[in-house]
Amino acid sequence: MSQGEAVSVPTPEMDEKMAERLDGDDPQTLWETRARAVLEGSGYDIELGQHVARDAQRVIAGELSGEEFGRRYHNAYLREFGRDDRPDSPDAADRGSEGGTPLPEPPRVMTRREVLGALGGAAAGVLFLGELYRSGALDGPAGPKPGSAAGVAAMKTTPVQFGMVIDLERCDGCLFCVDACRTENGLSDGVLWSYVFAFQEPDDDRTRFLVRVCQQCTQAPCIKVCPTTARHRRPSDGLVLTDYDVCIGCRYCEVACPFGVNYFQWGDPATYGGTFQGQRRDARGVAVAGDPPRGVMGKCNFCPLRQDNPETRGVTACAEACPMDAIHVGDMNDPDSAPNRYLAQRRAESGGNLPTFRLLEDLGTEPNVIYIGSPPSSRAELVEGPVAYEAWEFTENRRVVLDGPKPWFRRIGAQP
Amino acid sequence: MSTGVTAPRSERTSGVRGSLTQRDMAVLQPMGRPSRRFLLVTGAALIGVLWFAQAWAFQLRHGLVVTGLSDWGTGGGVPWGLYIGSFIWWVGIAHGGIVVSAAVRLFGLRTLKPVARLAELLTLAALANAGLYIIVHLGRPDRVVTSILPNLGQTIRTSPLAWDVTVITLYFVLTGTYLALTIRHDLHEIRDRLPRVFSPLYRIVLVGYRPGERPKAERMAWWLALGVIVLAPLFLHGGVIPWLFALLPSQPGWFGPAQGPQFLAAALTSALAAVTILAYACRRIYRWHELIDDRVFDSLSRWTGLFALLYLWLQLQQVLTGSAMAPDAVASASAAKLASPVFWLAIVMLAASVAHAGIQALSPRRFSVGRTATVAVLPVLAILAEKTLFVIEGPMHPAFELYAGMPSYYSPSWVELSSVIGALSIVILVFLGAAKTLPMIELEEAER
Repeated sequence: MSQGEAVSVPTPEMDEKMAERLDGDDPQTLWETRARAVLEGSGYDIELGQHVARDAQRVIAGELSGEEFGRRYHNAYLREFGRDDRPDSPDAADRGSEGGTPLPEPPRVMTRREVLGALGGAAAGVLFLGELYRSGALDGPAGPKPGSAAGVAAMKTTPVQFGMVIDLERCDGCLFCVDACRTENGLSDGVLWSYVFAFQEPDDDRTRFLVRVCQQCTQAPCIKVCPTTARHRRPSDGLVLTDYDVCIGCRYCEVACPFGVNYFQWGDPATYGGTFQGQRRDARGVAVAGDPPRGVMGKCNFCPLRQDNPETRGVTACAEACPMDAIHVGDMNDPDSAPNRYLAQRRAESGGNLPTFRLLEDLGTEPNVIYIGSPPSSRAELVEGPVAYEAWEFTENRRVVLDGPKPWFRRIGAQP
Repeated sequence: MSTGVTAPRSERTSGVRGSLTQRDMAVLQPMGRPSRRFLLVTGAALIGVLWFAQAWAFQLRHGLVVTGLSDWGTGGGVPWGLYIGSFIWWVGIAHGGIVVSAAVRLFGLRTLKPVARLAELLTLAALANAGLYIIVHLGRPDRVVTSILPNLGQTIRTSPLAWDVTVITLYFVLTGTYLALTIRHDLHEIRDRLPRVFSPLYRIVLVGYRPGERPKAERMAWWLALGVIVLAPLFLHGGVIPWLFALLPSQPGWFGPAQGPQFLAAALTSALAAVTILAYACRRIYRWHELIDDRVFDSLSRWTGLFALLYLWLQLQQVLTGSAMAPDAVASASAAKLASPVFWLAIVMLAASVAHAGIQALSPRRFSVGRTATVAVLPVLAILAEKTLFVIEGPMHPAFELYAGMPSYYSPSWVELSSVIGALSIVILVFLGAAKTLPMIELEEAER
């Protein structure tokens, strides 16, 4: 395993920019170089772009107010683009929700599945549980317990909903995010909470990438199908998490999730490359962090312990490690959050023609990860990325490392 | 309240002790001293159960890594496999029992009355296996009570698995009550002939028995049968079990409204076939040729064939809508199914069952009880294979089509295969136990 070796350069193909970063160059200089590279060829004012981008970072860092940021470049924007669609522009108030700010949440209408669920639940409830409900016998033992805190919030949507904006136009497939995730969570072999697909479309030689993390769906199927409330939504930031103390390991969340982000703990983590030693419990005291113990489900969780800490809130291990600054984490309901600001900035840069998508949106799970770039078509084919998983010593196909111990009757046969 | 369909009968008077008819004696014949063959079969079944027990212990000790399962997606495998396939299979077989029995009571399907109690016992044993499979499948079986029950009030609203656990429990209680209600009178009638060794057991079953309770018990059984007939098709195999899959658009191979009817057709097919096999075994072993006569097998053969045909027709619907002009993800899931030899093996076995039933129905002189029972093995095996294939093909061909480039594979491990042996052994043990303790055919029938 390569935990702790994350800063070694795994292959000669690795991008120069990363090498620079690893050599300890000033990230700010590096960042500006990259911004210039992106802006060149756009046909727009490079100086303006760099200034705006730098100040946008200062806004995120809290060094500059959004209002001041909006005022500062308003005239320059109008000169350069003929419009200023930024959420902070002085016109934003008149525009309401048009332009770069996300649309307000539509009113909650029951989906088909919810209606069915309610019907099935009601039928079963009337037949079997009605009396028990009324008597309160099913409320469980009194007093706090690990599951109940999670359970109460399990189904509800929350005012704060963390998500990501992932810029696939920036992603170069370096797998730093995948490795940072492994290190942060001490993941077992073959467990890839963060995974980067490299693929090509027919008649196009360009290799494209898709960074697959948990989509933190608003209508999360994994939460709905969980028979225990172990899979729940945390009230403080809307993160979809697993309570490791409650999960029974039925793997229903895994088959219900369309994105394939769940990884079960089939054996003892220590036997299968797991190295997690850190703190499991979040600020509520619920065990949600790190490679899960044997027999329960794990998945990308947006580093919940970091989100509990005001100093690290809004940063995940993968976002921190990304040398391309392609991953932006924060509250998707807040137009002023880092991901929404980044999105607005990119929209502005693109003159309003920024391609964005959410994964498998037609399945109705309402993912809270927005990708900048084009979604893979149904004819997209996986290709070898610029950096191989083997180069980082990752096991891609977990099944090959899930060999259980030999049973006694095979040991007897093998001994003579 | 009406009991118009079949009026409860109370023409039997109590106090017939010592004056049992020859047929009643035949029903009670298995209760005697165990034969050598009985002990041998019991020993073999016990070994089967113990073998499974040590395999499960191995799994509990090392985790589910001892199965052939893995994660879907990048994990290159499937998280659900033979355990869930077997679970569906056993719940399906459980139908046979109770639906046959309920149909006898509600619709006056008298031909099948001699096998009604056998079928009820099969239901209990099969449901116990289904419940066992849920537990065996879990990563943390020790948490079933502490994690599911306290949160059921919340999860019952959206989790098909919570519905599933609820309905299986309900079904088990219904069947157990039904069996207890209908067997009390028989046990009371023959209380002097029952083996003394088990008298504590009989005391429990007969607690509070009064000879005058029969009409009331019959009426209760009638309503229970109605409950079962309504529940089983609508909410168990035609409902909650397929809804575990049919409500998930993430796996196009699972999604769709036809899963309910198709699961039900599969369940009834395998269940009736299983009852056929059981009835034949009992008839051969206990020489019950008159008690379970040829008409029973003729009827079972026709019903099995009919439901197998229904299953094939529903499968055709799904193949057609999944292939002709289907969305990409659905089409690739269908194509994978059609490319699987296991699928075609199951289809051919079921088609053979339909053909056999058809030929026997059209040409009664070709009827053969032995062949009927032999052919009944086909749908039972076919449904196990098809359901396991169905379970694994969902996550193998997901809506997220990029995963198509990552081959996934599943082959059940020795631990998983041992569970099949164990579950079958459990059913055999239940019947061996029943043979020594209960009248396996209702005495009322034997009396006529």
